Amino acid sequence: MVGVKRVIKREINRILHKPRYLIFLTLACIFSFVFFATLTDEGQPENLPVAVVDMDGSYLTRRLCHEINATQGVKVVAVYNNHTEARKAMQRGEIFAFYEVPKGTYNELLNFRAPHFGLYSNPCYLLAGTLSYKQLATMGMLAAGAVQREVYRKKGYSEDQIMGLIMPVELDTHLIGNPWANYRIYLMTTLIPALFSFMLLLFMSYLIGREWEKGSIHTLMHKSGNNPYKALFGKMLPYTVWFSLLVMIANLIMFGIMKFPFNGSWLLMMLNSVLLIFAVQCAAVFIVGCIPDAQLAMGITAVYGALCFSLSGFSFPIEAMPPVFTGISWLYPIRYYYLNYSNMAIFGNGLEHCWPYFCSLLVFGLVFLAGAWMFGRNYDKAVSQGKVNK
Amino acid sequence: MKSNALYDIWKVFGAEVRRVFSDRMVMLVFFVATVIYPIAFCAIYNTEYMHNSPMAVVDESRCEASERFIHNLDALPEVSVEYKCSNMAEAEQLMRDRKVHSIVYFPRDYGTRLADLQTARICIFCDMSSFYYYKNAVTGSSNLLINEMQSIEVQRYEQVGLDDQQANEMVQPVVYDDIKLYNPSGGFASFFVPALLIIVLHQTLFFGICIMCGGANENKKELFRIPSYLRHSVHRVIFGRALCFVLLYIPISGFVLWIVPWFFHLPQLGTVYDLVMFLLPFVLAVTFFGMSFGTLFSREKMSTVLCCIFFSAILFFLSGMVWPQSNMPKLWLWFSYLFPSTPGIQGYVRISSMGAHLKEVQFEYLALWIQTACYFVTTCVITYWKNFKRGRQSRLLHRLHSQYQMRVAKSHIVDTQ
Repeated sequence: MVGVKRVIKREINRILHKPRYLIFLTLACIFSFVFFATLTDEGQPENLPVAVVDMDGSYLTRRLCHEINATQGVKVVAVYNNHTEARKAMQRGEIFAFYEVPKGTYNELLNFRAPHFGLYSNPCYLLAGTLSYKQLATMGMLAAGAVQREVYRKKGYSEDQIMGLIMPVELDTHLIGNPWANYRIYLMTTLIPALFSFMLLLFMSYLIGREWEKGSIHTLMHKSGNNPYKALFGKMLPYTVWFSLLVMIANLIMFGIMKFPFNGSWLLMMLNSVLLIFAVQCAAVFIVGCIPDAQLAMGITAVYGALCFSLSGFSFPIEAMPPVFTGISWLYPIRYYYLNYSNMAIFGNGLEHCWPYFCSLLVFGLVFLAGAWMFGRNYDKAVSQGKVNK
Repeated sequence: MKSNALYDIWKVFGAEVRRVFSDRMVMLVFFVATVIYPIAFCAIYNTEYMHNSPMAVVDESRCEASERFIHNLDALPEVSVEYKCSNMAEAEQLMRDRKVHSIVYFPRDYGTRLADLQTARICIFCDMSSFYYYKNAVTGSSNLLINEMQSIEVQRYEQVGLDDQQANEMVQPVVYDDIKLYNPSGGFASFFVPALLIIVLHQTLFFGICIMCGGANENKKELFRIPSYLRHSVHRVIFGRALCFVLLYIPISGFVLWIVPWFFHLPQLGTVYDLVMFLLPFVLAVTFFGMSFGTLFSREKMSTVLCCIFFSAILFFLSGMVWPQSNMPKLWLWFSYLFPSTPGIQGYVRISSMGAHLKEVQFEYLALWIQTACYFVTTCVITYWKNFKRGRQSRLLHRLHSQYQMRVAKSHIVDTQ
């Protein structure tokens, strides 16, 4: 323990002596939190710009615009005279979807000849395109229902009968864990811990690599009594504490103050945060331990870490990717964090469901041991080759 | 000394190329990262959709209509009915165990309400841990429901005495032709990867330049890069350096934005002319942006990389591909135009995925040229200030001189030993 304590003391002194990077990273964490919280403030995009192509020139189009504007999700920003204009507006990114009302629509409607409307949308912007499509399609359904209701009223059916006729089945949707389909909840709960932990991953790699580069590795090993396990453990511990605190505070703000749905145990969620930070550091130690070249290790860490958002599986499910990525995703602590989070926050599951993922996060401890062992070997080799100046 | 603009640019260009190819870390960023990242991202998202999301069904009504609905649900590409449960508790347990991502529930009175010409109800429960589970379950079942409703409606209209033709007309008083442009199947890769490719280009070029600036700062050799007779023509140095990066990024952009999308069957609707014309100001803007930023802030080679992923994630969300620009808070929208990646992504996606021409992306095109001009000026100013600020040169020279003397002294000691 004495060795670890001495290393921790040395590390804290180093931080106090040159706090620039830690302050920078902490500010980056705060900035990213504020950024994502304010960017997706609306939860679900509202008043998405859409258009109507009016080739009919009848009262119908004006009524259509009026009804579209009455919905919360979309807003008509332009009425065009032909299809080309609308397509170009879409290519300019001004609108995400448009209705096309062909010539003679109103006449056909009055004569019950089922006029065709074109509903064009652009899912290249996946969220905006799909949402505006959904809104316009729902509106179209309702409009058709309104026409049907008018006819039945004139035929003398009662309101109850009419509802049964025009709406034989209704779909009752329950969204578990995010009843408003709020994008902010979905995005921030995983992205923020992923960002924090990834910054720490690079930072750890940088810190240990710098000891190699600057030749201060000898004092580090000396303080720990030439024990690579103690040296690396002591080196990472202050950052474990600091970044665990950051992730925990972020979680407290999200689930406590911003009232994101959370059904699980707070204690387990905090444990999840701490283990995420610990496991990420272990991964960094392993990479730097195996590669004594600081710059190369940094490059490998960056390549490993950059895929963490994709392979956490929160944006695009892992099971939909080619099977090899299921295996690769097990190398990422954030994957287990995400599984734990969704188990706890969304389904209120406890340890009986989460233990495999907690254990997996703990297994990164073994990765740390392997990394430290390699580190020790590399250090001895460097000493015997006279590369380390004492 | 003879001062000729082209000659100076050529000299700086040559020196810069030598620096790029002698720095391992820069080589790693320029030539390895630009190969690994695009291929990795394309491989991850290449499947485009999620098929057969597992679903549980609870059918308490056990009527013919519900059986047919379940059968049709299973036939959908989006979901597959993996479990048929006898009650909700069982299905809920399956959901908790994460074996299914959605549950469809038919209440006991589903069949009788249909028979009584009343509105029947189907409940659907979705796991919201990923938007894809939700999208699959809800779009799949609501599309199916629309078809189902139409067949029930025709049946009902006939029951209330309309003939076949009248019933069909009544079911669909208006027909909606649903046409999805540019990404017809709503695939994830077609939406996500083109933007990522631009981010990869932006970030590798930006960080490559920053690492070089950091390296120069570490070695304190920067001083010798700019001879003092170039004091009043710093722009020649900047042009020479930029030329090196632009020439390097012609083949790299070709690989990332042409060969990789071609290999992974991503949409490529744009013409070569539009793409090249658009990418030129993009690469220039990123180069000057990187040079300004790197010269000003980059102190060490390695510490520069620290903020790379944080920066990439922020840039990606600022680009407006995920969260639409129309709904961004104004502050972030303005902020996003500080970075060449925002107009770069918007323009590239529209050209290559939506077949737009330069005319349709003229706003982005103009924005990139304005950024190029602005960052060129800032690069000149910062480089001038860093190199020729009063007193700075003499101080640096002094420090270097003393270092040199120490080294000479050391080598002398070694020699005598």
